[in-house]
Amino acid sequence: MAEITLKNLGHSYFPQPKSEEDYALKPVNLVWEDGKTYALLGPSGCGKTTMLNIISGLLHPSDGQLLFDGRDVTNKTTSERNIAQVFQFPVIYTTKSVRRNLSFPLECRDWDPKKISGRVAEVSEMLELDDILDMPARRLSADQKQLISLGRGLVRDDVSAVLLDEPLTVIDPQMKFSLRRKLREINRQTGTTMILVTHDQSEAMSFADEVVVMKDGRVQQSGRPEQLFERPENTFVGYFIGSPPINLFNVDVKGDRLNCPALALTDLPRGDLGPGALQIGIRPDHLNFSDPSESNAVAMVEACENLGIDRIVSLRAANGELFKVKSRLRQKIDVGSKLGVSVAHKDVLVFQDGVLT
Amino acid sequence: MGRTYNIIKYLCLLAWATFVVFPFLWALSTSFKDANAVTSGARYIPWVEFEPSVQGWTSLFASGSQGINIVQPFFNSASVTLLASIVSLGLGTLAAYGLSRFSYKAGFVKNSDITFFFISQRIMPPIVLAIPFFLMLKEIQALDTIFGLVIVYVALLLPIAVWVMTDFFASIPKELDEMAMIDGCTPIGAFFRVVLPNSTAGLVVAGMFCLIFGWNDFFFAFILTFTETQLLPVAIVSLNSSVTPWWSLSAFALISVTPLALIAIVVERFMSRGSLAGAFR
Ligand SMILES: Nc1ncnc2c1ncn2[C@@H]1O[C@H](COP(=O)(O)OP(=O)(O)O)[C@@H](O)[C@H]1O
Ligand SMILES: [Mg+2]
Repeated sequence: MAEITLKNLGHSYFPQPKSEEDYALKPVNLVWEDGKTYALLGPSGCGKTTMLNIISGLLHPSDGQLLFDGRDVTNKTTSERNIAQVFQFPVIYTTKSVRRNLSFPLECRDWDPKKISGRVAEVSEMLELDDILDMPARRLSADQKQLISLGRGLVRDDVSAVLLDEPLTVIDPQMKFSLRRKLREINRQTGTTMILVTHDQSEAMSFADEVVVMKDGRVQQSGRPEQLFERPENTFVGYFIGSPPINLFNVDVKGDRLNCPALALTDLPRGDLGPGALQIGIRPDHLNFSDPSESNAVAMVEACENLGIDRIVSLRAANGELFKVKSRLRQKIDVGSKLGVSVAHKDVLVFQDGVLT
Repeated sequence: MGRTYNIIKYLCLLAWATFVVFPFLWALSTSFKDANAVTSGARYIPWVEFEPSVQGWTSLFASGSQGINIVQPFFNSASVTLLASIVSLGLGTLAAYGLSRFSYKAGFVKNSDITFFFISQRIMPPIVLAIPFFLMLKEIQALDTIFGLVIVYVALLLPIAVWVMTDFFASIPKELDEMAMIDGCTPIGAFFRVVLPNSTAGLVVAGMFCLIFGWNDFFFAFILTFTETQLLPVAIVSLNSSVTPWWSLSAFALISVTPLALIAIVVERFMSRGSLAGAFR
């Protein structure tokens, strides 16, 4: 168990990177605190696996340092770092039984045989693998194989951290849910740091104490799930977190105030900003329907999608801008009808050149 | 419908099997013929069409003017082939693993160039190598010895082993090695404890190729040995005289093909047990 610090850590797969473009992971300073659960969230190809492989030592970073509890481990080997990692696709030792698969990490580290069988029993029970322990591992289905991979990651109880690289992709949704809960339970019981890589925001939000959002090799924002939701630091995070993504509206600048014609909002505080393109962002969850007769903006319903409890309504504002509203009200909504839309001023976020002011 | 299909299927298989087995049958019947029976037209059925004789077989175990003794050449061939195959497979597997998992660079030479260098050894016509090999073995006084032949055969078989195993290791996801290292192996430990046990299929194929090429080589065995260390393919040449002894040649052909056939049967059994079906994911 350790606090993991990335100090100006970056990596380029090119031997002589010419520009920042060449970096799969742009140099970053980041601290993974001991004992927390983290989610590393970002679109595919943004450098998540690269970051994990650097932490586990499978990849030597081209720039910067990696510290475990303040000790520099940049040049330490993977096995010295004592990290557990689970890959996206199951990796099993096809020539071994399920039991030997699970005990292998402990055998490699010369654990006492009694302790090994104890740990294997605990982990296999938790993952419901206990009745197939003596089967050859190659006979299993893909999701059982992934459970073995997961089990091998969890069987050591002294690891510095458990790195999970989209491990739940191949597992069916029901099982996914209970596994996520179990992982959190393990974290609470043992205090093992866990980093879960995912591109599924709901998985990230429900699993992690803190979410780190990445894009194009750069860390965009890290924080508690509700922070990312309420105050996304840039429009990318706004888009990526929350479903549907944040609505962006054009604004007119009137002195030191802003007007938003689409929502008929006037007199928004502009802040002390320099020049730069301004936009406001409003979460679909924060927009409310109101009576069209009041002094609110009026928009026309273009489509209405029913998600069971919520509805996603696509609307076109009087000035032609499109946006979405997430509503739980049970009122009848017809396509083509006109609805009033309102928002609380505190929920309006102002972005300058895509960055939250 | 299904029945007609089955009948046709088995007829086709039968035809094919006859086609494949026929040369062996012919060799078998010829090995029991005498000069008369060989030269007087096609005859197939012993006792009816010709009177069988074991002369073809006994002449291979005789000594002096009765024929030649192939027992010693047989064991020479077996030792050279086995030793050279084991060494080639060992060295070749290590080289192939290195080539498949690490990037080497020396000037403009990269991994693919190194692999090609190995393979190019087999593209060259063997005659080009004959004289250098001869001179080198002479220098270390290894002409006409098993040791000398093993060295030469390793040079011939190593490219095959490297080629087959490089291809095979490329098909094993590198995540397997990475996983082993996460689980606490050193890079070498990952190779021996995880990758190698998963490589039986590749090792069997590469080993088969080595055995076949080694066992069948005539050219180098002919040039680099004289009298002391005769290999099987060379020994048979000395059988030839003014009258070609087809019966001995046939018996010899059957004897020399037997070890390879036995290996093929064992490997086939082994493969069909499914233990080689390499599902890594
Ligand atoms: N071994 C490699 N060699 C060269 N480029 C790579 C290699 N692995 C990944 N990349 C590149 O680095 C970027 C980040 O990849 P990765 O870390 O795998 O992303 P993610 O896991 O977020 O999908 C991608 O653009 C990818 O093409
Ligand atoms: Mg990835």
